[in-house]
Formats: sequence, C-alpha cells, structure tokens
Amino acid sequence: MIAGHEFSPPRVMKRDKKSGGWWQRAIVLVDMNAFFASIEQLKNPEWRGRPVAITNGRVGTTIITCSYEARAYGVRTGMRLRVAREHCPELIQAPSRPEIYARISSRIMRSLEEITPEVEVFSVDEAFLDITSVQRLHGSPVEIARRVKRQVLAASGIPCSVGLSGDKTTAKYAAKLNKPDGFTVIPPWVAKERLEEVPVTELCGINRGVGDFLAAHGVTRCGQMGRLPVSVLAARFGNLGRRIWLMCQGEDPEPIITRVSPPKTIGHGKVVPPGTTDRQTIETFLHHMSEKVAARLRRHRMEGHRLFIGVRSDQGWIGTKQRLERPTDDGQVLFYWCRHFLDRQWRGEPLHQVQVTALSLAPVGMQQSLFDLSGTRRMALNSVQDQINGRYGEFAIAPATLLKRSQMPNVIAPSWKPEGVRETVL
Amino acid sequence: MEFTLEREKLLIPLLLVNSVIEKRQTLPILANVLLRLKNKKLIFTGTDLEVEVTTSIQAVSGKEGDITVTGRKMLDICKAVNEQTEIKVFSDGSKLNIRAGRSRFTLQAMPAEEYPTLETMDWEERITVNQAELKTLLDKTSFSMANQDVRYYLNGLLLELGDGILRAVATDGHRLAKSEIKVKTGKESEIRQVIIPRKAIMEISRFLNEEKEKVVLEFNQNHFCARSGEWVFTSKLIDGRFPDYAAVLRPKLSLEIDLQREEILETLARTAILTNEKFRGVRLSLSENRLTITANNPEQEEASDELEISYSGDEVEIGFNVNYLMEALRSLKGEQILLKMQDANSSCMLLDPNQPNTQYLVMPMRL
Repeated sequence: MIAGHEFSPPRVMKRDKKSGGWWQRAIVLVDMNAFFASIEQLKNPEWRGRPVAITNGRVGTTIITCSYEARAYGVRTGMRLRVAREHCPELIQAPSRPEIYARISSRIMRSLEEITPEVEVFSVDEAFLDITSVQRLHGSPVEIARRVKRQVLAASGIPCSVGLSGDKTTAKYAAKLNKPDGFTVIPPWVAKERLEEVPVTELCGINRGVGDFLAAHGVTRCGQMGRLPVSVLAARFGNLGRRIWLMCQGEDPEPIITRVSPPKTIGHGKVVPPGTTDRQTIETFLHHMSEKVAARLRRHRMEGHRLFIGVRSDQGWIGTKQRLERPTDDGQVLFYWCRHFLDRQWRGEPLHQVQVTALSLAPVGMQQSLFDLSGTRRMALNSVQDQINGRYGEFAIAPATLLKRSQMPNVIAPSWKPEGVRETVL
Repeated sequence: MEFTLEREKLLIPLLLVNSVIEKRQTLPILANVLLRLKNKKLIFTGTDLEVEVTTSIQAVSGKEGDITVTGRKMLDICKAVNEQTEIKVFSDGSKLNIRAGRSRFTLQAMPAEEYPTLETMDWEERITVNQAELKTLLDKTSFSMANQDVRYYLNGLLLELGDGILRAVATDGHRLAKSEIKVKTGKESEIRQVIIPRKAIMEISRFLNEEKEKVVLEFNQNHFCARSGEWVFTSKLIDGRFPDYAAVLRPKLSLEIDLQREEILETLARTAILTNEKFRGVRLSLSENRLTITANNPEQEEASDELEISYSGDEVEIGFNVNYLMEALRSLKGEQILLKMQDANSSCMLLDPNQPNTQYLVMPMRL
C-alpha cells in the first residue's frame, strides 16, 4: 500500500429481500409500449382500443410499428400494409409524424432527468436510468422504479414497461417480460438464477452471429455460460466478448452512458422507386441526400474529409469511398462526387436505394491552409440558405433541381438523441 | 540462362529490386523480377510501372539468357538457404530452377519479352551530386509531402534545378519544407521543375548511402533518373502544377524568437501527450520574455510548459498542430533555431540561422 493513503472500506449496502433497503447497483429500463402508435391513439381518441398501424406517410406501404390491438391480430412491424389488412381488415393506417414523436420523447427524457441525471437515451422510446446514487434521496429502488413509471405517464400520457435490476442487460430483459404497461423487478442477487434458463439470444446485444458462436461452444442458455472460459469469448470478440460473458451471469458491467459522443459519420439514404434506371431520377435523389448531409454538417460545424456514396441494386450495394481534396460541408461538392461516382461505377443497373455519408468528420476549419482558400462565396451562400431554412423549414430554399425531390416524409433514426448532433428527425 | 553465385552476392541485388515491387499487383508479371545475363553481366530489374530499379553484378560466367520470376519468392529462397552457399540458377524457358546444396526449387517463370521496362530515353539535363548531400536534401523535405491527397501533385517532391542550385520543396497544403544544395548545372538554361512521386522519393533515399560516392541525376520532360555505380533508378514524373511555394515563403513575419532546438522539441513532446489525439493542437503564447505552450484534450486534461526567451513585443497566442512543429524541428539539426511568427492567421517559419537555406513553414490551427 502507498504510504499516506488508506483504502476506504467499500460502501456497505443492506440486502433486503423485501426490497426495502439499498442496492449495490440499481438500473431501470423504461420501454415505451408501441410508442408511435400509442401517441397516435392519444392524439386521436377515437382510435383508442382499436388496431392502429404507423406507416411512413400515406404512401408508405410497410408498417413501422402498430398498437397492441393490432398485434393481437398478428400484425407485426415490417409487415406490408396489404398483408396486414388480410389479418386485420379494420386496421387504421396512421401516417408517421416523427417531429411529434421526437418532441414527446424529449419531454419524457427530460422528466426522467428529474429523478437522476444518469439517464441514457437508448433509443427514441427506451432509456436506462442508473438510480444507485439517488437511493438516499428517493428511497428504495422499487419505489424509484414505480416513480419512473408514474413520471413517464404524467409527462406523456402514455404507459410504459419498466424493468428494474442491478445491471443494464437484466433490467432490459425484465422490462421485456411484462408488456404492455408492465413492471418487473429482478433484484441483483437473483439475477444470475433468473437468467439461468433464458436462451442467450434473448439478451440485448447477442445477435445471431454471437449466438451461433456460443451454440457451437455448447452455450445456448445463460446458465451454461459459466462453464465456458471467458478467454474463449475474449479471443473471438475482444472486450465485447468479456461483457457478454458477464451479461449472461447477471453482471453486465456496462455503465450508463449519458454523454452523446460526437458522430463519426453523418449520412442520409433513401429508398428510390424500385427498379429505377433513369439517371435524372437517381441524380435528384443523390442531390437531395447531398444537400441534407451538407446542411447537417453545417448545423454542427463539422466537415467531412471523406465521402461514402452508394446505390443499391438487386445485386447489392455499389459504393465508393472518396477522399476529398479539402474537407467540405458544401452540398454542391458532395453532389459533384455523386455524379462522378455515377459516371464511373454505375452501369445502369436498376436501383432501389441511395446513400450519401460524410466520413472522417472534423470541426470546421481548424487547420489553416497555405494555399488559396477560395469558396468563401459558397460559404456565404450556404450560410444564408441555412438561415432561411432554419426559419421556414427544410428546403424552403433549395437548388431548383430539388423541386423534383422525393416527397417521402422524414423518419426517426435508430440513434436519435434528444439533443446534440443526433437530435434531428431525418 | 544459367549461372552460379554465392548466396550473399545474390541477396543484395534481389533486396534492392524487391523494394520497388508492390505487394499486390494488377498485372501478374509486376510481381516478377527480370533477370538478364549478357556479356558477363547479370542484370536485375524490378518495376511498378512508375518506378524502375536496375542493378547488376559484373563478371558472372554462365550461359546467357533472360527470364522473369516472382521476386519475393526468389528473395525468400536465397535468404533461407545456408550462408555462403553456392546457388545455382538455371532456366529451361518456362521454369526457373534454383539449387543450393541439397535444396532444389522450381519456380514458374514468364518470358522476359513480356516484362514492362522503360525505354532507353534521351535526357535533357544531367547533374552530379554527392549521395550523402542528396540524401540530406531529401530527408530534410520529404516528410512534408502529402500522402494520397486528391491534389495529386502534392503527393510528391518538387525538385527545382537552375542557377547552380538544386532545390527540394514538399508540402501537404498545411506545412511546407524547402531545402537546397549547390550543384554544377551544365547549361545556364531556364529553371527546370519536376515533381517526383512520393514512392520514388522514399525508395531512392533508401538507396543513397552516406558516403562521398557520386550520383548522377538526369531529367527530361517525363522522367527522372538517378544513377550510381551499382544501380539505376528511373521514375516517371508527376504531370501537374506545383503550388507557387516561393509566394508563401515570403511572408511578413515580424516576431522573431531564438530558441534552443532540443529544449523546444522536448517541451513540445511533453505537452503533446495531452493534445487531442486527432487534431494534435497546441497553443504557443508569447508574453514578456516567456513562451508558454499549452494543450488540452476532450477528456478535459491539460498540459502547460514554459520557456524563457528574449521577447518584448505584444502578447500573441497561436495554435499549431504539434506534429508539424516537431517534425520540422527534428529535421533541423543545429543547436539554435529561429522561430518567426506574425499572428494567429499567418504561417510561422522555422529555420537554423546558420543554415538559412532550409526553411519550414507551418500554418496555424484555430483552437
């Protein structure tokens, strides 16, 4: 031991089986039930208790999510509307309104921060709370978890499912057990036991690839994990492997991540009418994506040093990574490279998707350049355009060719966050 | 073709030519080395279509002929056999056989006629310099070349010849290095500028030794060639317009500070530990007789260090990429250096006051 230092004894937490005492670690997972559909039912009272399916605008044919009433008929996310109607003829189609969902989600997240600042926005309708350090303030974990549930209802008018345990993975598993409007507690000292018979692939973060690897090593249920040396997982998956090993034993060490890390890439993609071969149409889509990417780069004062451009045909993605002469936040430059890409790599294959992503992002103009720094006119123009669009809405002013752009509505990205670079509704 | 040589004699030329052969090739034959035995001279050639190296061994007896074979495999075989072994090499057209002691190897061969060699060409200019001098010139500048920049003409080194001076300039757009040596130019013609590709520069500086041996440099419109007693190194030139380096080298820099090179280098190295790993920014702050260097990173960690200097002007604060400063300082060899600055939007210049022909420019960062 180093002289002059003393180790403070570990905090003693009372283990109370009636859940009245303090826990070593307490994590809550809040999962909004059928979030988008619940909001639509809230806003349209006549839809309450009836099967509602959200689609991407009126034109969308794929179900983004649906109410529990619809699920009872066998309607599922990802189903075509036509198929869903076969299961449930009275299904109500509700065009998605992502701006409203994002606003309500932000409100919920803010209200959760009244309980603890340690809130991790996991997706638009899910959040983790680390309530370990607020037990003295708000009471036992079970009491706090109940308060979380009440608070969400008060902030949004929508029920949610809550899972409470001593780690993220078990909390998330718990929330899933009882839906909708559920409340499930798995105290940390029984987590390992409760997970024993659970198939490993039921846990969040264990995908089929990892699952197949584990199955090949004789592990299909969490309880079998202890027999497998942690080094086997570490050798194959690195730190993630070590985490998975612990996760299955109810000891997921992952902390709550409150800081939104700066994005590594900013990109936009869209589905084009299936089988498009018209160059003009493809160009309009790519131009549209370029301008969206550029506007978002500028909003966050970032520049891309590299660019990914891709189009998807039946054979898969045709794409290129382009290193840019200078880092840019200008849609015209991005679109220039899109056309260059089409010239070089597109052989007229029928396409159904396009993607433009700025890579290797860095804050604008840190390193100054020895030779010319032209393009100041473009910078001024972009800045004015941003101000106009900021006031009157996206693409209130835009290059004329974008008059023919896709009118498919924006959607919420899986990585949406209530603030920072990811707060946008795409 | 047939010859027998000691392992050690065969290794050196194979190492030389293999250094230009790319690990992955578009044409299979580019993985090969060309072997030619003619008039008792065994000639080795390697190429990547941009750079070609030829080297030879004299007084080799055997049967004349030529063939090409995978360079890497032939080198690995020669490395792997016992030291001082006599290696016998012979070909029957489609195969190349190697015998060393009891080891036997048969390699696939391709005909020499298919090997893409550069034509013999007419050179318009020829100068002779010391190998050591040329090596120093390249080492002082080449680190500032761009790497895979879309401005392809920056991915190389500018050599400028005229008025009895051979000048090398390299820049990646953020910093610039310039150095020069005196040479005897043949004809007093106009100034010639060539841009030599990055790879050629990196390779040739490995070929050059520190001795007083001479190397002949030859130029024409499209090619550059360096020729020593042992090897001939030919490279295509980059066809492009190098930026006007002379214009940026004449900035108005009114703040001048004398510094001990080792001292400032060590201070920067210490501070650099806590810079942002990606942008590597440090702040140089000038105040009364003091230079303060500070850095911080996204984890909110901070470093600060001070140097006593002789300075009495306004207080100035300028940000730089610490790597650019350190690379320039490392390649200046003298004890003293002169740092010239102006403001946060102008480049700074680093040079050794005793050797003012080598200059480094670094543009600031906005921090």
